[in-house]
Amino acid sequence: MYPLYKLPAMFAVAAGLFLLAATPLCAATISVFAAASLKEVINELADEYAKKNPAMKFIKNYGASGQLAKQVEQGAPADIFISANTEWMEYLKNKKLVDTASIGIFTYNTLVFAGMPGKASSMQDLIKLERIAIGSPKSVPAGEYAMEAFMKAGLDKQLEKKLVMAKDVRECLMYAERGEVDGAFVYRTDALQVAKNVKILFTVPQDLYPRVNYPLALTASGAKKTEAAAFFAFLKTSEAKAVLTKYGFQVR
Amino acid sequence: MPSFTSVEYAAILLSLKVAFTATLVSLPFGFGVAYLMTYCRFRGKVALDVIVNLPLTLPPVVIGYLLLILLGQKGFIGQHLLQPLGIRLIFTWKAAVIATAVVGFPLLVRSIRIGMETIDPRIIQAARTLGAGWLDAMISVIIPLSLRGVIAGSALMFARALGEFGATIIVAGNIPGVTQTIPLAIYEYASSPNGDAMAMMLCLVSVVISVIVLLFHEYLSRRMIRVD
Repeated sequence: MYPLYKLPAMFAVAAGLFLLAATPLCAATISVFAAASLKEVINELADEYAKKNPAMKFIKNYGASGQLAKQVEQGAPADIFISANTEWMEYLKNKKLVDTASIGIFTYNTLVFAGMPGKASSMQDLIKLERIAIGSPKSVPAGEYAMEAFMKAGLDKQLEKKLVMAKDVRECLMYAERGEVDGAFVYRTDALQVAKNVKILFTVPQDLYPRVNYPLALTASGAKKTEAAAFFAFLKTSEAKAVLTKYGFQVR
Repeated sequence: MPSFTSVEYAAILLSLKVAFTATLVSLPFGFGVAYLMTYCRFRGKVALDVIVNLPLTLPPVVIGYLLLILLGQKGFIGQHLLQPLGIRLIFTWKAAVIATAVVGFPLLVRSIRIGMETIDPRIIQAARTLGAGWLDAMISVIIPLSLRGVIAGSALMFARALGEFGATIIVAGNIPGVTQTIPLAIYEYASSPNGDAMAMMLCLVSVVISVIVLLFHEYLSRRMIRVD
């Protein structure tokens, strides 16, 4: 047992430790809402940035761009928003939830069909398949691009009942990896970085869908934070572009 | 107000179909397990009790994930049993039936057990001393007297099955018009910025169906109490 008179001192030490442990909570946090396909890139960029600015903490939220836009609309604390298509950026712009002046293009990508080797080699082969995963076109841009490509290729009616709707592009790829679907429409970078079992079977012809671009912007609340603006500027440097290129993204 | 397209009607019909099939398929098993738990003494009874009731407390996502690992193309049962037979379960409506059956099963067993426990054991003994075999006693005494418990349990399981989401989305996927049930459709609309009105309409349908089923269940349980 400790002598009684020492107890107040112990309390003081404990309180001091508690305060020390609590201080990092007061450090600046930057919260980034980004399309699921950007996960590895943003993780690496945030890590690099945090190395130079150790006081900076990141909150990263990845998901379907439409879902993220809805979360921002409902008041989720986001400083930076990166969408995988223009539609959801426009949506937030119209609601005045992003800083219009900050909107720019982060990077570009291409849509591919990934699956077990030999399943298909062109859009026309898709009719022979049983199950195809796409992101739910209601909120996942990759699914929207895929639906547009089906429509342009005149395949939408034939494929209708074969489409498994995933909640984001990564879940799509996971279905293909497990072999539960014959293949999935994902971005080239997803297939390159994440896929282990599946291979890119074909690239969707560019004339079937608009070019995949990732607009980025500071949100209305993020524009007021200098830390967020500084990281936002970092995302546009050549250093960031080098990381994007490393992961297979196109920067122009 | 947005109007339903064929996809939403398909989701409503599918929800009813999956819930109905799951309940029907589970009934004989549920009755069997309830019978074992009420009238038989055997080793491992507690273990059986825990296993049967586990889905009640486990997150449905866990059940879905375990089923996916078991029944999937690379799963143990999927690869060695289903594939050679040419059966494909994952991402079909049958997978939704299996998932909801597992999740709703404990509710069914509980209700049937309560029904069976209210039967006066002397009636069963009387039947047996008068020469009825256990099968005869079951058909002529236990089944008629526990019928309300069976129906109440089925109604409860049916209601639970209508709302199944976590396990279903993992094993049945989300294929509009094929495996998309009401909760899955709501989830899809709820994660889309333009989907609020439609999500709300489907919520309304969900509430209406659930209220009807629960009223039916309530009516039955009241009658059960009155009879006793």
